[in-house]
Amino acid sequence: MTRTVTAALGRLGRVRRDALRAECAPLAELDDVELGARLLADTPTHEHRDPALLRHWAETATGFGTRLRSRCAAAEPRVVERPGGIDRLLLARYVSRPTPTVELFTDTLALGEELVDLLGWRDWYAEGALRATALAHEDAHRLLHGDAALRRALRERLGHTALRVGRFRITGHVAGSEELAAHGYAAARTGLGRSPLLLTAALASAIRALVRN
Amino acid sequence: MGIVILLLMLAGVGLMLTRKLPTAFTLVLLAVAIAAVVGAPFTGENSIIDTVLQEGAVAQAATMLAVLIGSWMGKLMAETGIASTLVRKIVEFGGDRPTVVALGVLLVSALVGTVTGSAPAAMMAGIIGIPAMIAVGVPKTTAAGTILMGIAAGMPFELPIWQFFSTTLNLPVDTVRGFMLKLFPFAVVFAVLFVLIETRRKGVEHTWSLAAPGERSAADRRRNRARQLGDAPWYALLAPLVPLVLALGFELAIIPSMLAGVLYALVTTTRPREMSKRLLRTLYGAFDIAAPPIALFVAIGILLAAVTLPGAVEALNPLVTAISPGHPVIFVVVFALLTPLCLYRGPLNVFGLGAGIAGVLISAGIYPAVAVLGLTASYNQVFGVADPTSTQTVWAAQYSGISPQQVMVRTLPYVWCVALGGLIVTAATQL
Repeated sequence: MTRTVTAALGRLGRVRRDALRAECAPLAELDDVELGARLLADTPTHEHRDPALLRHWAETATGFGTRLRSRCAAAEPRVVERPGGIDRLLLARYVSRPTPTVELFTDTLALGEELVDLLGWRDWYAEGALRATALAHEDAHRLLHGDAALRRALRERLGHTALRVGRFRITGHVAGSEELAAHGYAAARTGLGRSPLLLTAALASAIRALVRN
Repeated sequence: MGIVILLLMLAGVGLMLTRKLPTAFTLVLLAVAIAAVVGAPFTGENSIIDTVLQEGAVAQAATMLAVLIGSWMGKLMAETGIASTLVRKIVEFGGDRPTVVALGVLLVSALVGTVTGSAPAAMMAGIIGIPAMIAVGVPKTTAAGTILMGIAAGMPFELPIWQFFSTTLNLPVDTVRGFMLKLFPFAVVFAVLFVLIETRRKGVEHTWSLAAPGERSAADRRRNRARQLGDAPWYALLAPLVPLVLALGFELAIIPSMLAGVLYALVTTTRPREMSKRLLRTLYGAFDIAAPPIALFVAIGILLAAVTLPGAVEALNPLVTAISPGHPVIFVVVFALLTPLCLYRGPLNVFGLGAGIAGVLISAGIYPAVAVLGLTASYNQVFGVADPTSTQTVWAAQYSGISPQQVMVRTLPYVWCVALGGLIVTAATQL
């Protein structure tokens, strides 16, 4: 970002708001698996992968996260709320050291809520659900970070072979799969109607619109 | 007269630090000024035109060629997918363990850096390696530092560097290789320690980012190019080892060793009918990459020719003798404390004024050439990683989304220790 974005969507003129709606409408037409596949396609190491394989991995990883919804990470992290997320293009962040902490970026969350209203997506994202989703998303990362068996299970589920010599086979890590599992987990925990990835993509469009404004 | 030369050098440092003049131009200007104040004739023996400018400009020809071939190999490894495949495999095998992934990327950086030089290696290993490390939870500063520390770990075996020290200090390549073998353990140990300590100290970091797929950077476009290429075959991944094995194991000359690496990378990845086209295309592309270091090596050769003029040596000898520590312990303490002077294009940067100072130390007979090799090679380990003005540091930091100063602060303690190790070895074996 080249300059601080403090404006809310209300500061956009009618034409720009309509343009933003028009930009986000095709995103809503994509299914959640396709959004997941796009995230994987933009993750390094997947540059040459078959789109069908990426869709399969996206579905599997998201489903893996969804099935984890009844589990919680062992200890509650410290939660810090601060502004500055829009400038850094961040909605939430989890750091494990020195103290496990989840940072929630209040300006991005507020923009997200405003955007849901603007786009008429309240049926999918309930009022205040975005904050809970962000916490659940980072909770999923803590779960996966602290449990090697869980990470192994995700790897096995994805079934990507990194090396095969005769009957001997090593499953490879699929970069980006944990992020998709975290989104699947968060969506299931908070009962979202669509993947958080849809709102993520729409938020990126909104920030671009604000910058242009 | 010695004081005047030192003042000129100080003015040169000022010009470089304030970025009033590019380093290469400053060095040439400084060389001509030094030659003029020591009374060198315009033409003839030990003159400004024939000795400083003519002989000096081509003095580093072998280094320039090694740099060019290294860039050629780098270009080839990028175009054929060798570098990206190496990193991709590391991520797939290292998987969900951030420390393992970082150690793997460290290894790839070291390996690629030995043949291509620092800046191309940072880009080749970093384009996929940095986002891949961040994706598995490695914090950004640690990710950038890992690439640079990896390059530093491979730096003692960086073949163009061997050629540079051999030419600059007038030492046989065997002698350079001998010292680098002693420096290597320090470089490796502290690079591995960097990854282990920093990943433990800083833990993992996961972000819910809004970075939009539509906002594609130049790096993304390069990744898209890799998308069309796919994986390189496993035996092609050995390409960076070929020059190293030949030069280190079989003691073959540097340029043929590197050419063998180019040929190996070509034949293991390219169909015969496409070979000549690809070879020529990557060679021409390599000139773009190699242009900045080659310009610098021309200037360094010119500066070295100036400071080794008889008049300059005579003028600088008493001064340098008076301030250079002779006792091994004081040598280590003083030069270890002066280490930060190689940062920000400072006076001890061996790819700048430091080369001139090295030339003075040798020509004035203050230290044996091997000791000066130890001194400059130790400083090079610091400059190559932590200097916020060096290309690879700036690139790795910006690509990770942090500032070069953050990388400097994080990596300096480790590379300072490497330099200290090199200085101790130098003092123990050469003084």
